[in-house]
Amino acid sequence: MSEENWIEVGSTDSIEEEDLIRFDHQDKTFCVYKLTDGFYATDGICTHEAVHLEDGLVMDDEIECPMHQGIFNIKSGEALSPPACEDLKTYPVKVDNDKIFIKID
Amino acid sequence: MKNNIIILGGGQAGIYAAREIRQIDSKSNIKILGEENLLPYERPPLSKDFFLDKKKEEDLYFHSSDVLKNENIEFENISINKVDFENKKLFAKNDNVYSYDSLLISTGSENKKITLDNNLKNDIYYLRNLEEAKKIKEIVSNKNKITIIGGGFIGLEIASSLSQLQKKVIVIEIGSQLMGRIIPKQIADLVQKTHIEHGNEIILNKQIEKITKKNSDYEILLNDNSLIETDFIIAGIGSTPTVKLFENTNLKLDNGIVTNQFCETSIKDVYAAGDVSNFYHPFYERNMRLESYQHAQNHGICAGKNIAGVKTEYSSIPWMWSDQFNLNLQLTGICDEYDEIIERGNDINNGVIYFFLKNNKIRGACGVGVIGKVGRDIRITSKLSEKNTIVDKQILSDQNLKLNKLMQK
Repeated sequence: MSEENWIEVGSTDSIEEEDLIRFDHQDKTFCVYKLTDGFYATDGICTHEAVHLEDGLVMDDEIECPMHQGIFNIKSGEALSPPACEDLKTYPVKVDNDKIFIKID
Repeated sequence: MKNNIIILGGGQAGIYAAREIRQIDSKSNIKILGEENLLPYERPPLSKDFFLDKKKEEDLYFHSSDVLKNENIEFENISINKVDFENKKLFAKNDNVYSYDSLLISTGSENKKITLDNNLKNDIYYLRNLEEAKKIKEIVSNKNKITIIGGGFIGLEIASSLSQLQKKVIVIEIGSQLMGRIIPKQIADLVQKTHIEHGNEIILNKQIEKITKKNSDYEILLNDNSLIETDFIIAGIGSTPTVKLFENTNLKLDNGIVTNQFCETSIKDVYAAGDVSNFYHPFYERNMRLESYQHAQNHGICAGKNIAGVKTEYSSIPWMWSDQFNLNLQLTGICDEYDEIIERGNDINNGVIYFFLKNNKIRGACGVGVIGKVGRDIRITSKLSEKNTIVDKQILSDQNLKLNKLMQK
């Protein structure tokens, strides 16, 4: 993968701990999370129904969809609780000079 | 020890119980007996995404037949017509006999039917299963003015879908508000406004006196002598637990099968879960019967644990949702035991929530908003309620203050 695939999301202080922000790039939506041990990124739309996870609840390492309470592991994307059964795609994240970047393939 | 475990009822509670048992117990025989010739499937999309062609039949199944095969869970399409609890046997219409060591009853609930005129019983449609959904979907494609009797969740979800299919929809509700059985009036009124804005007609406080068939159309006479002309009728007037099979047995029934907090019925080795069970909820210290997705799933899982020998109390905080137009409505806890109501937000675009408090603790909450706008707060509310947290009412009432500030670490 080339360097260009790293896309700048924003500054590290733009996200509170145990919270997330939505990041739109081209025609896709992502969620970028700040957990106690660092930053993570997933697709921004629930795999169960087309709803933005930005309004969901982050608890420990999990994001819960605000519509039907499907739960995903933020780090692995694994669907943990129905009605979600399809995993959420995750993306690599790096921090450089207090800026967050995600690698979109 | 190898047991024969039979799960009577092939819905959500049944399948989740079966898989939970298998996680704990790799040896016992587990057999689900289902009346529908379909593997367990999700019902919520039937009135919404299935009508709107956003979901197809194959998207509805909880698990493929491979999952059941891998976990050695049998599924049989059979109708049981007699139960002998004393000898632990079930008898099928085709003379098959099933013996069990443990039995889970997860027969669910069934639609109440309109009893006005028996000659019209095939003219009024109801929605509970996939077959009915397919039939309604096919017929309404040629209909234009559709009347829905009953302004509860199912009726309003169908009304929302049909409106999106450009149908003229009339909803007739006998009560003074929509969804009156469990939803607070403040929220119901916001939902009603949205229906009206989309062109649906909502008629409250009216009883149906008579339905008359006129060629292929119908005339509905209401108790104020007004007449509604319509070309298709769907009714959603509530449901009753499916317990006919047990009516002349020793099984204790009272608005469903009476169970304790461990999903145990009045008969040893017989359990009940999901819609059919009127269970004791230790947190609220009362019995309740719930008809919801989350409950069917979690109650099934809890019954599975208990059947497999892991004694587990069921104390989930109730939670349910309804999707209508671009709105998502959610309810958590119980909203009928309170000494104070607090409102959060006043614009449906940002979400509006009513909290029901008793002794400064949240007993329940109900909210509605454009999709995504109330879920997080309702979820936090469930957790606050479960932990019996004394809440700061200032934070509850101010939408600019995040509710997770109230969570104790």
